[in-house]
Amino acid sequence: MRTEPINRISKKGLRVWRIYGVFQTLIALLLGIGAGVINFFTGEYIWLYIVDVVIVLIIAYLLIYLFPKVRWTRWRYEVREQEIELQHGLFVVKRTLVPMVRVQHVDTEQGPILRKYDLASITISTAATNHTIPALITAEADELRGRISVLARVAEDDV
Amino acid sequence: MSKEKYKLHPISAVINFVKVLKEMIIPLIVVIAVNGFGGSGGSGDWSSYITYGIYGIMLIFLLVSGIIKWKRFRYWFEEEELRIEYGLFVKKKRYIPFERIQSLNYTEGIFHRPFGLVKVKVETAGGGATKEADAELTAITKAAAEQIKLEMLQAKNKFTEPLDDSAEVQQVVKVERQSIFKMSPKDLFVLASTSGGVGVFFSGLAVFVSQFSNVIPYEAIYEEIVVFIRFGALIVALVVFVVLLIAWIVSVVLTFINYYEFMIIVEDEEIIITRGLLEKKKITIPLSRIQGVRVVENPLRQLMGYATVIVDSAGGSLAEKDEKIRLLPLIKKTKITPILQEIFPELQFDPILTKIPKRSRKFFYRLDYIWMIPVAGAVSYFFYPFGLFSLLLFPLSYGLGVWQQKTAGYYLNERQLVIQYRLFSKVMVWMEKRRIQSMTERATIFQKKANVSSIITTIKSGVTGVSTTIPHIEKTDAEMILNWYEPHRKISIEIEQPLD
Repeated sequence: MRTEPINRISKKGLRVWRIYGVFQTLIALLLGIGAGVINFFTGEYIWLYIVDVVIVLIIAYLLIYLFPKVRWTRWRYEVREQEIELQHGLFVVKRTLVPMVRVQHVDTEQGPILRKYDLASITISTAATNHTIPALITAEADELRGRISVLARVAEDDV
Repeated sequence: MSKEKYKLHPISAVINFVKVLKEMIIPLIVVIAVNGFGGSGGSGDWSSYITYGIYGIMLIFLLVSGIIKWKRFRYWFEEEELRIEYGLFVKKKRYIPFERIQSLNYTEGIFHRPFGLVKVKVETAGGGATKEADAELTAITKAAAEQIKLEMLQAKNKFTEPLDDSAEVQQVVKVERQSIFKMSPKDLFVLASTSGGVGVFFSGLAVFVSQFSNVIPYEAIYEEIVVFIRFGALIVALVVFVVLLIAWIVSVVLTFINYYEFMIIVEDEEIIITRGLLEKKKITIPLSRIQGVRVVENPLRQLMGYATVIVDSAGGSLAEKDEKIRLLPLIKKTKITPILQEIFPELQFDPILTKIPKRSRKFFYRLDYIWMIPVAGAVSYFFYPFGLFSLLLFPLSYGLGVWQQKTAGYYLNERQLVIQYRLFSKVMVWMEKRRIQSMTERATIFQKKANVSSIITTIKSGVTGVSTTIPHIEKTDAEMILNWYEPHRKISIEIEQPLD
């Protein structure tokens, strides 16, 4: 049995995902209201309103509470001398190995919401693939970017 | 070192013109058709003259710009660089160091051949992001093309560092220059008649039709179809058959033209492919750029014992769709191994595969039920009793799943991974460990319960990557493959590497 990668992403990342969840739920809410209005003018089934409300509530529970929580607990990463290992996924758990030799460049990125929480995401690019670690404390992300870049340069290239 | 500036052959003005015209032809037809149908009301004749006038001016503009492009284009050799100068309004210059040039590809189109000219495409390793080839010399004489190659070789020899002894190796290899593979007319015919070109043609037709969808009077057609159907199913079937036959013949002819006199030569650590009847193409692929080799057998060809060999090559430009190069477009399966072994001596071409465990079988077809149950249910309900035929989907999907499970497998040795899988066609992929860009183990909740997982490997192909999956293998095997791939766990291999 392979051991899980050690590091988790920042706990604040969970809060950011909840905020994304709120936005997505708002869209669902608008659609739900739309469906309710249509029902008001066309049908006279009372139970359709209840279905409508229940669906929106379920979506809110999943997108704001459950999914971010599962995703956050699942997210692990580890940067070792020779390789980077990532683990993530909601229903499908993915574990990815990226050898340092293959790393071509590393980017950090920070959107408005991430910046508010002093977070940044870090993207590792190989010649063919991109891998993103979503929410790290900015200072930590910068440090990690530097470290990966140094390790990638040291690693012997044989392509 | 000559600093004389060279021009392209004047015919390139015509080629430029035709090239732009070719790109514009479909939108142009659509525009004309729509105007022709829609504008022919009471708006008078003068407006249609204006539109034709605009087309005329456009054509003249294209022709003139083709000529100017040719007039402006210069290339020369200076300081170990290929330098070109071009541009319609803005003068641009591009300097390409010879040592950075990966390959020179030659094409002889119908305009080139009467004059003994070639089109030369220059490719470098880095220039993948831009949408065009790094440099393209539209038409030059063969002698001039040879000169570019000579200049490049001279420059490269100067640059070879003492560390790199590949130059000596190259000299030894240079002796062998016989063709490794030539396609016989019979194979060419089998290729043409079994190619997926039929599908391509139909999708092309669909695109074409969709361009006109605004113009087509659907209701009128619908009425006619109803009458038509009354004529009897026989006529409908006949029409379908004739359309299919024509599509098939077109695809046979196209394949024949494209793959005529297909030949491979291996020389100087490069694979050189030549093919084509009207447009003679010569593609050069450095062996060092090849990332993976795959043998593809579609079921029809599998039945006849034929297969296609494709290689994935790194680099190239986005515009080019040749990154998946058909190395052997069609060949008897029994003849593949010796040819590939000669080109890629390090690879193991008859691996003994580890098969997929039987308890994984359900994962191959179960996911399809998610969409099949509602679809079959709805169809059976609304089109009862004939809708019940949709239930046949289930045994079919099960059968395909079992077939996929039986086909799939993998083989692993110190340096390479071989994966065999089937979606519909059977595919076997060879990749060296050092070519794999990243590897992912993937497990759904159900897979986790059954203690199986899939492995996804990505290699570079063209400017992006291509992923291959080993489906639903034992969890322990998946972890074994991850360990194999993980650099620090295989210290023995790192000791071996300096030897070669």
